[in-house]
Amino acid sequence: MQAQFLAGGGLGTHRPVDTAARMSNHGKAICRVAVTAQTDLYAKAGAMVAYDGFLQYEAVSQTFRRALGEWASGEQSPLLRWSGDGALYLADMGADVLNLHLDGENLSVNGSHLLALDATLQCTVEKVKGVAMMAGTGLYNVQVSGTGWVSVTSRGVPVVLNCAEAETYVDPDALVAWTTGLEIRARRSMKLGSLVGRGSGEAMQLGFKGAGFVVVQPSEDTADRLKIRG
Amino acid sequence: MSRELAKASRVRVSELTSSTDLYLGVHIAGPGLTFDISCFGLDAEERLSDDRYFVFFNQPNSPEQSIRLLGAQEGDSESFAVALPQVPETVHKLALTATIDGDGQMSQVASGYVRIVADGAEVGRYSFTGTEFSTERAVMLADVYRRGGEWRFAAVGQGFDGGLQALLENFGGEALEENDEPTAETPVAPIPVQAPAPTLVAVPAQPAQPAEPVPVGVRVSLTKYTELPECPGWVQQNDNLVRATLTKGQDVLAVQGSMVAYQGKADFAYEASGMLRKLVGNLTGQPLKLMRVSGEGQVFLADEACDLHMVRLEGDSFCVGSDRLLAFDANLEYEVRRIEGEGLPNGGYFTLQLSGHGTLVVKTNGIPVLLPVTPVPETYVDVQALVAWSKGAQVITTAPVRIRRSSYAGHTAQSHSLQFRGAPGNFVVVQPFEV
Repeated sequence: MQAQFLAGGGLGTHRPVDTAARMSNHGKAICRVAVTAQTDLYAKAGAMVAYDGFLQYEAVSQTFRRALGEWASGEQSPLLRWSGDGALYLADMGADVLNLHLDGENLSVNGSHLLALDATLQCTVEKVKGVAMMAGTGLYNVQVSGTGWVSVTSRGVPVVLNCAEAETYVDPDALVAWTTGLEIRARRSMKLGSLVGRGSGEAMQLGFKGAGFVVVQPSEDTADRLKIRG
Repeated sequence: MSRELAKASRVRVSELTSSTDLYLGVHIAGPGLTFDISCFGLDAEERLSDDRYFVFFNQPNSPEQSIRLLGAQEGDSESFAVALPQVPETVHKLALTATIDGDGQMSQVASGYVRIVADGAEVGRYSFTGTEFSTERAVMLADVYRRGGEWRFAAVGQGFDGGLQALLENFGGEALEENDEPTAETPVAPIPVQAPAPTLVAVPAQPAQPAEPVPVGVRVSLTKYTELPECPGWVQQNDNLVRATLTKGQDVLAVQGSMVAYQGKADFAYEASGMLRKLVGNLTGQPLKLMRVSGEGQVFLADEACDLHMVRLEGDSFCVGSDRLLAFDANLEYEVRRIEGEGLPNGGYFTLQLSGHGTLVVKTNGIPVLLPVTPVPETYVDVQALVAWSKGAQVITTAPVRIRRSSYAGHTAQSHSLQFRGAPGNFVVVQPFEV
């Protein structure tokens, strides 16, 4: 079928748009990355839906994998390193994709929400300690810093809350990312009534305070779709 | 800060900006399409009683210069400057429209928006794409209208068959031949619009470009997800999130676990619902567990990225399926109604009837359809896709409808539907998802 048959029809409007940006949104759920020979990209394994151009991928190097260490309990690498010259299309089960540009900033992303990041960014994986352990969305947090692009997924259209104006409490299951350097504490809203099985359904929140912001998604699904994937 | 306005949403201009000198920018583009963008100044009967208030490329100014056409600038295909205090009392509504000049239909529109700029900053934006339209050749984009002594903005986005001529006739503009105005059939080369006088006009400092700008810094990348400015009551943050601003004595009842974030001092407590819990919980196996949210602060509510819809009750009654309700003002009265019917799953269909003055939030999977209910013919709805209906609609269960579904092994060959009928003005809301 010739491509022009699609023109004016339902699919004709969905051609990719060339943009100058390294990462751009194609619709809500697809992240388009312009991979160039200068900059490699780390992407979540299994997130690639299409690519064109001369691209190849490999499991992340041994040292990097060691750094990521316990991120994935299996043998397989959680991230793939993409290199070459072309366009890479990434998506994660129809979740909304946010493309963020870091300008020497620090961002902490919940491991299961990370879709892709530039290889030029420094990234450290830390096991979530203490209270944040309760967060059902993933046991590992990725701290990303430096200058470059990072792509994050959110189930539904997210909201960005400024923690400087007021201490912000977030349901751990709805947490997507936050700027590092915030003071984090847990708040339990359990009452005596909760002990006899009459809880409000909101047992614990994470409180964020300081100059920075948190990204919150409108969904609390704890099912970690991404862990199942090999 | 720019506020994203959804289709069919209405907002007071004073909520967006304190300024009364507005710049309305319209962007609409599609491959091979040219558009005429016009502004109709309509009277209380929505008629164009004075054709001097039909502002378009041949008539770029209204008589007292309160509505002026500025031409394409700053990424907008067309723009208008409106000085609201100068608009005469006889003009009740300014309707912004776009019509296709030449061949084409609205579904070919690639992208478009209407934005409101005041004091050099964009304060509101309504975006649309061609997928919302089909073969229409014109679209009523947005209205700025008077209501109760103040100006409001409505994002209309309503397609209209026929071109500019049909639109003019719709507004009662019979002056077509006398003024020798162009029609869609006989396009006249538009006379070049003089460059607008720079005074009065609030030109945005940061032009909104159709091409994606390259953002710098995380904060810039996330601008479009920023929290909406503070205001009392309920606010729709985006399609999937609502925000309730709590004040003392005005509690909110919400489905347990629907809070995703809050700022301030909010308290979440178990809400005993008595009969409600007993009925809904015991019989349907789908307990509607509520919590009472009280205190002072702002609470964000959402559920599994469902589309959320705010409904404002002003003394009327509204019935919502018990599994389709997200939250409501605690001062609304609610009672459980059970619709019994032969063969309905779980012995009946449970709904909450809410009445009083306040807001409730309904969740749907996908964009719902609102069907008007009339005495004859009746409207039939699949129980599993039913979301809500107005109280005046009378519900009758019908005998199971036979559907051929034998191709799916394991499916029953029958489904249940509810029949609705009622006085005109009643409606039923159906979602594109069978729970």
